[in-house]
Amino acid sequence: MTASIMLAALRPPQSPADRRRRAGVVALTVLMLAFPFLGHAFQGLGFDWDIGDDDVDSVANALAYATLALGLNIVVGFAGLLDLGYAAFFAIGAYTYGVLTAFQIMPAWSPFWEPLAVLGLVQKYHQEAGDLVHFTLSFWLALPLAALLTAACGVAFGFPTLRLRGDYLAIVTLGFGEIVPIVFRNVPSVTNGAAGLNGVMAPTLFGFNFRVDPTPYYYVGLLLTALLIFVSFRLRDSRIGRAWMAIREDETAAGAMGVDHVKAKLMAFAIGAAFAGMTGVFFVAKLQTATPDMFGFPVSVMILVMVVFGGMGSVWGVVAGAAVLSLLQSWFLPSLTQWAHALGEAVGNDWLQSIDLARSIELIFGIILVLTMLFRRDGLIPATRKQAALSFDAQHVQGVRRGGFDPEAAAHVLGELPHIEGNLLEIRGVTVRFGGLIALNKVDLVVPNGGVVAVIGPNGSGKSTLFNVITGLVPADGGSIRFGGAEILGLKPHQILERGVARTFQNIRLFANLQVLDNVMIGQHARLRAGIAGAILRLPGTRAEERAALQRALDIIALFGNRLAPRLTQVVSALSYANRRRVEIARALATRPKILLLDEPTAGMNPAETLELAEQIDSLHKQGLTILIIEHKLDVVTRLADTVVVLDHGEKLVEGTPDEVRRNEEVLRAYLGRAATEAAHAA
Amino acid sequence: MTTADVYLQQIINGTSLGAMYALLALGFTLVYGILELINFSHFNVFMVGSFIGLGTLEALGVTPNGVALTGFALAGVLLLTFAVTMVGSGLLGVVIERVALRPLRNVKGPAAMITTIGVSYVLFNLVLLCLGADGKNFPSPLPQVSFAIGGAVLRLREILIWVVSLALMGGLTYFVQYTKLGKAMRATAQDPEAARMMGVEVDRVIIAAFFLGSALAGAGGLMFGLYYNLTSYVIGFTTGLRAFTAAVLGGIGNVPGAMLGGILIGLIEAFGSYWISAAWADVIIFSILVLVLVFKPAGLLGRLAPNKS
Repeated sequence: MTASIMLAALRPPQSPADRRRRAGVVALTVLMLAFPFLGHAFQGLGFDWDIGDDDVDSVANALAYATLALGLNIVVGFAGLLDLGYAAFFAIGAYTYGVLTAFQIMPAWSPFWEPLAVLGLVQKYHQEAGDLVHFTLSFWLALPLAALLTAACGVAFGFPTLRLRGDYLAIVTLGFGEIVPIVFRNVPSVTNGAAGLNGVMAPTLFGFNFRVDPTPYYYVGLLLTALLIFVSFRLRDSRIGRAWMAIREDETAAGAMGVDHVKAKLMAFAIGAAFAGMTGVFFVAKLQTATPDMFGFPVSVMILVMVVFGGMGSVWGVVAGAAVLSLLQSWFLPSLTQWAHALGEAVGNDWLQSIDLARSIELIFGIILVLTMLFRRDGLIPATRKQAALSFDAQHVQGVRRGGFDPEAAAHVLGELPHIEGNLLEIRGVTVRFGGLIALNKVDLVVPNGGVVAVIGPNGSGKSTLFNVITGLVPADGGSIRFGGAEILGLKPHQILERGVARTFQNIRLFANLQVLDNVMIGQHARLRAGIAGAILRLPGTRAEERAALQRALDIIALFGNRLAPRLTQVVSALSYANRRRVEIARALATRPKILLLDEPTAGMNPAETLELAEQIDSLHKQGLTILIIEHKLDVVTRLADTVVVLDHGEKLVEGTPDEVRRNEEVLRAYLGRAATEAAHAA
Repeated sequence: MTTADVYLQQIINGTSLGAMYALLALGFTLVYGILELINFSHFNVFMVGSFIGLGTLEALGVTPNGVALTGFALAGVLLLTFAVTMVGSGLLGVVIERVALRPLRNVKGPAAMITTIGVSYVLFNLVLLCLGADGKNFPSPLPQVSFAIGGAVLRLREILIWVVSLALMGGLTYFVQYTKLGKAMRATAQDPEAARMMGVEVDRVIIAAFFLGSALAGAGGLMFGLYYNLTSYVIGFTTGLRAFTAAVLGGIGNVPGAMLGGILIGLIEAFGSYWISAAWADVIIFSILVLVLVFKPAGLLGRLAPNKS
């Protein structure tokens, strides 16, 4: 109930901001559609302001750069993968269309080509020495074909780099970006080598040939840009987009929350590459020529500068960045150069007269890149807007509920829990070594279904390692971990989460630059199905899934009352320490866990907050959730746990009820040392 | 030439190239070991270094068609040229660190790396705009002396590269192992926070790493000019990528690894060009980079610094 009110408040059907934004998009669309004819309009109104073919051509080029920037933004901005060889995909797309329409590449004719000729993909080209094949792939067919081909290349290039840290990825993609033009240069039989292809066919539409008139290309570019902006937004606001942002923020936490980083990264590479491939077809059709030199490192850098300058991760930002920088090159610098020359003539300065700013465009790009990084890292239009802190009133709209979560709401959030007698989690003889150090030595531990087991022990006793080995973050050197009867040792973190094991981290690993709501939504990743097609098309099935997921996220956040509910759209890095711990628990609950692993959930909380959280954990337990908890505060342990396991130096020291453990001699010795134990006895 | 002669010649060529790559790789490794930052500006510090060398030689009156020097004059000119080039490049590295990288030191994510790309691009285009796109003849004060070993030819310039590289690498190893600042550098690479608490001035260590790395790159750039009798604004990119591959191959962050990787990449380039084709040399080298990263990301000799997370 509260949640649905909050939902209504969060997404009102027509907020003023929404309406303004929509009006802005409509105005921009009208302006862009009318642009090639504005010159006539101005002249009709008596202005001496012409918009000629050159200007239309410049804007068409700017649109091509905008589509490239949108593609790179998926890879760099959304998924956080620094790709320095992005121009390679641009080149592959361009050559796909170039090779399949140019007159330089003509193999000998054979009957093999007959069926393709019937389909109109090739033509027989008569020559005295023997007939040749001229490829005549349609531009409209080439667009999706190049998208598919470059997406496949994106996956192939991306695959070897997946295990690498971000900075290695940059250098490998840089290498790939270098190799592709070299390959094109060195296989002349397919690409006509360094001379490149020319006479690439212009597109035709319903019998109308585009030739070299910039206007039809302008409209194709506009349509392509609009399509890719739409796709970017759809992807960003989907399960896929959230997964990308999760791996960008914290890959380990993303895995532990159910995101398969291999799949997510490959998707980002593939989609980013597909954008570039389509742009390549467009660009080469417009230019009607392609050479290996058109796609070198400077192109990759230029697109990167556009993305960084516009704002990494911001869709409108990168479009604006591409537009500004590309028009800077074609419009402003030549004008500025003319002014400089005129000024030079007026004051008699030779240097000013000889200046040519268009030649220094790459230098200017480099300077813009450095200055943006130093002084405005979020770019022209930042992807996330900073939010003001809550007012005192807003913080106190609703009191904190004492005595744990509302039972009904908690039961609703937890859903169906397993009905098995006996143990849900069984750890047998698990050993973990780090080099010479034995972090865990043949540890046995069982958690009965519906029970609460606490793990305690001095620092360095292997508690967190135990959690890491259960959740697949650390490989074991022997032993077995069975969950619900099935072995989970050796599975990847996201697979273990899918089976129902959710965790929090000792040092809080939230997706720091995302909102509270997004963090909880990402927790549901493994329980949602939408793929790329679903995200883009957003058919009724996907729409319903998203709506249900949002509702569920709000329900979970609502459990924490006014601690989190008013902070729904705040970036988590701006939250207090205790609230960040709460968001982490909310995120774990969102994964529909069968067992919840809490790593020192009350660390850093004051006594009142500790009590509040302990009651909340207790209420989850009362609803039947199985819990394994690491905790230093013994009052919390005593309150919650049925069984306490004491680890020391990676070995299980004692297991028993809280009372038994409290009285155990070995435990005292482990915590306090021998002398202190004797002193305690003496006293 | 017999096959053995050809191989010997490739070894001579490969080790000379490799020594140059090693010097450049050391700069990548020093900075990466401490800041975990791939410093793309290093590519073009190398390029600028070769132009500083060119300018110094010209200022000393050495011209492409001039008389070769001998004896003390030769030694003096070489020493002075190397000194000026290394100090100049080193200072360039320090300025880059101070102006463009220090403000971003505590920023998470790829911001610093992107900035180094921007700096590299600025250097590249500044040289292009100021000095033009044509390759420049590089004067050599070395006499045209060569020795025949069987059918292979060993020129004085190769001996010079070996001697100077060995001396510089020896000096760097001594510095890192035995001097106070070198020890501070190793400590910072292990754990900057702990090093700071032990009284290490981390800023000084970082400046030293940039100075030394850039000075070595400058020496490499000068050798490039002396070796090919040519320099150009484009040399930084391909040479830099090869040297980076060398650093990764040896184990980035690892000083002996960078030296080993450099020599290996030089040999691979020489033999790859001979067996296959010089046009494919970069493809071969980058393929090796990818294979190493996939199958042995720690490189041949492993990392000096543990993985900080």
